[in-house]
Amino acid sequence: MLKEFLTRLRFFIVGRSHGEVDEEVRFHLDQQIEANIQAGMSAEEARRQAGIAFGGVERTREQCREERPGYWIETLVQDVRYAVRGFRRNPTFSLTVVLTLMLGIGTTTAVFSVVDRILFRSLPYGDSERLVSVGLVAPIEPQEFMLGGSYYEWQDNQKPFVALTSEIGTEPCDLTENNPARLDCARVEGNFLPTLGVSPVIGRNFSENEDRPNGPRVALISYDLWLSRFKKDPGAVGKLIRIDGHATEIVGVLPKDFEMPRLQAADVLLPQSLDVAAERRADPGHPMWAFARLRPGVSVEQAKTELGPLFEYSLRLAPAPFRKEVHLQVRSLRDRQVHDVRLAAWILLGLVMAVLLIACANVTSLLLARGASRERELAVRSALGASRMRLARQALTESFALSVAGGVAGCLFAMLLLRLFVAMAPDGMLFLSKARIDLRILFFVLATSLLCAVCFGLMAAMRKAGVEALTGRARTTIRHAVLRRWLVIAQIAASMILLAGGALLAHSFWNLEKQNFGMSAENIVTTAISLGQTSYPTPESQMAFFQRLERNLRYGPGITAFAISDSVPPGGYHDDQIYAALRVEGRPALSSGTGGRVASRWITPEYFRALQIPVVQGQGFTDEELTSNDHFVVLSKSLAARLFPGEDPLGQHLHLHNGAPTENDPSYIVVGVAADVKNGGLAEDNEPEYYRLRRQRTQDWDRSSVLILKTTLPPTATEAWVRAQVASLDPTVPVDIKTLSERVGKLADRPRFEMLLVGFFAVTGLLLAVIGLYGVISFFVVQRTQEIGIRMAVGASRGDILRLVLANALRLIVPGVFLGLVLALALSRVLSSLLFNVAPHDPLAFAGVTGLLILVALLATLIPGSSATRVNPTVALRCD
Amino acid sequence: MPQPTDLLQGTLDLLVLRTLLLEPMHGWGIAQRIQQSSQNTFQIGQGSLYPALHRLEYKGWIQADWKASENNRKAKYYALTRTGKKQLEAEIESWGRLAGAIALVLEQG
Repeated sequence: MLKEFLTRLRFFIVGRSHGEVDEEVRFHLDQQIEANIQAGMSAEEARRQAGIAFGGVERTREQCREERPGYWIETLVQDVRYAVRGFRRNPTFSLTVVLTLMLGIGTTTAVFSVVDRILFRSLPYGDSERLVSVGLVAPIEPQEFMLGGSYYEWQDNQKPFVALTSEIGTEPCDLTENNPARLDCARVEGNFLPTLGVSPVIGRNFSENEDRPNGPRVALISYDLWLSRFKKDPGAVGKLIRIDGHATEIVGVLPKDFEMPRLQAADVLLPQSLDVAAERRADPGHPMWAFARLRPGVSVEQAKTELGPLFEYSLRLAPAPFRKEVHLQVRSLRDRQVHDVRLAAWILLGLVMAVLLIACANVTSLLLARGASRERELAVRSALGASRMRLARQALTESFALSVAGGVAGCLFAMLLLRLFVAMAPDGMLFLSKARIDLRILFFVLATSLLCAVCFGLMAAMRKAGVEALTGRARTTIRHAVLRRWLVIAQIAASMILLAGGALLAHSFWNLEKQNFGMSAENIVTTAISLGQTSYPTPESQMAFFQRLERNLRYGPGITAFAISDSVPPGGYHDDQIYAALRVEGRPALSSGTGGRVASRWITPEYFRALQIPVVQGQGFTDEELTSNDHFVVLSKSLAARLFPGEDPLGQHLHLHNGAPTENDPSYIVVGVAADVKNGGLAEDNEPEYYRLRRQRTQDWDRSSVLILKTTLPPTATEAWVRAQVASLDPTVPVDIKTLSERVGKLADRPRFEMLLVGFFAVTGLLLAVIGLYGVISFFVVQRTQEIGIRMAVGASRGDILRLVLANALRLIVPGVFLGLVLALALSRVLSSLLFNVAPHDPLAFAGVTGLLILVALLATLIPGSSATRVNPTVALRCD
Repeated sequence: MPQPTDLLQGTLDLLVLRTLLLEPMHGWGIAQRIQQSSQNTFQIGQGSLYPALHRLEYKGWIQADWKASENNRKAKYYALTRTGKKQLEAEIESWGRLAGAIALVLEQG
């Protein structure tokens, strides 16, 4: 084996001179001639016979050369050189192909790298496919959660899991050292990391001893924190840091790619240190989120079935109104993480595949056209002895060269696009920041471009020019013409689907932007402030801070209204509770079901005036009530209608939490009804809402508030002034200042991003399809120049010729549009969850798109059409 | 004299190797020898002999040297290498099996 290899290598490198073969052959012939002469032939005859017996000398020489080990490289180099020469001769063609491929492959790659983490890449945990999220779902919390009251029961008695673990959420915490910082601290159970299959890069996990009440204070820190605080010093383990004023020992560092299973940001992991015995007795217990590792061979479905009895147990603990509406949920961790983006990801991938399809069809079509015009050249090469195999290989080499160029360009384009996506995308767009072009994706690109190459290369290669092509008169291209027509029809159909999707999202986005929020966001500057744990430990200090701030800001320059709330509509976080917990004094509580959710806010009296929310009944909150000992509430119109149908709500007494009137559940007097305001985000339904007055009492305040200022000055001036005012009170308080319009606009970020993305693909697809159509029609015109010349010679007018070309184009456009329309109508249903106030079969969008596509397609045919009308009959008839 | 038969695909290599087992030879000699030993049954398309010789040489089964021929001209002599010998043994064996199998079928057919 080795020897064989070495011999091959020697010949591969050194080669063999042609002279050697020649000399060998000459010797052979001479010997034969001599033998023939000895057999009695004449010298002339001997030479002739020897030549006949030997066969073609040149052929032998060629065959000897083909036996050479390096021969295939030689032909490859030849083919590539030939291809490159061809491309340089026809740069428009090559550039079109490479650009088309770049668009197709680039967009596909960029999108693939975005959806990769959502759909395909494995999660950063050991054997992550076996991890599940376990818990209860209820209407008020559609993502599964657990309660301490039953969690430990589950943990003790569950069968389907190797281990069950939990976390109790992430909270802001302060690193109180020199150079203080606000961090996110996640509290997790002791077996959290082992269950997820994660081990610290240095140090150790929490010990059992540390995850109990009043246990030693220890922490695991994130890789980023290790990098920024400790410059990756391994000595960080064992050091003490002060978290919220407590000295805490770092016991380990998390891996670089670690993320919490619910994807919250976490800089520090702390043991959750729950009192297990107390939790078991508690009802409902601490809210938590549970994750588990399936036993080998146990499916998610089986696990769900096996958990049935434990779920029954939890149900018995649940308060009556919940029982019917609570369900058991077990699903894979990936499903938990991507639940609301999975569909969008698949849609994106589908759309971008359509773009790729169009691009490939375009390239195939271009290559076929080129092949058709090169028929004669191929016939000549074939006649000169090129084998069919060789011609096919040549065609494949050409398409490979184009694909590689397109693939490289596409890769660069994808990197650019990805940057654009990230820049355009709203914050918190799941996983987008993690999108990157890694080796797997490069492999994907390579595979895609090679697949393209093989597809269209084979189509072009499966031709062998007939001898008749040599005459230059034969028209043997009908077969390819049919194929090209179908490709164009498919392209038009695909771009129709893309355009329809884009139009639906655009229409939906328009509705989203133009809807009535029930309030005015004009000239409103909002300032979100969250006070630190250590500087403002008591409600007194928190209230004092905000009241001082109010005094400083209320009568500032240009301020016409000022309110403090704990949250602002129309979206984002706000307090809520279940409807069933509300109770009107003197009436029985709602008996069954939770009644859905009710939003609530703590506000100061000028809230309604600042946001221009009409108070339709009563007078809302007044300044006198600020110092009152009574509790006051304003209801939204929908809540009032539901609680007091046909009655006057004013003056009624209301308990917000079901139960006897106690210190914690006081009786609220209804003092007003305000118009409904959009409060569940842009696209979701409104919730009924009530407003509580933030009086000058400490129990009405907490550490976070939003200041709402209506100003007559330009918002930027007011923003700077507010920032300065807050800083003059306490420069360490972090403030988040935005106009309300900006906050509203931010809510629309995601639909806007989706619309722009789909719109981008739609335009790309349309562009490619139009190029394809243009190519086919121009080719049609060139091919039929002669025919057009004859028609003109026998009296056809320019209009007739234009009609001929247009009719031909329409035979592609109409079936393409029709096919696309049918497919788009069938497929648009998958978009329905992304649409707002738009039916998936929205007639406006579909009609507009159909019109646009036909218009653009006709425009694309006008250029070759008008050049056809300028054909000079005498020239046309003389050609060939 | 029976009609010359076309060589079975792939058997030319076997015949060349077997011929070279006796002594190193040049191309013409090999062609002559095969023709004689087969009693003129095999007429080697001499054009295909040289590509075969080159192929065997590239594989390292035979080895070529320029030497003076019997009539004192420079000729290229091919000789069997050690791997070539092993290859020949293997090919003879597999040929025997093939021929035996064909004979069995023909007899019992």
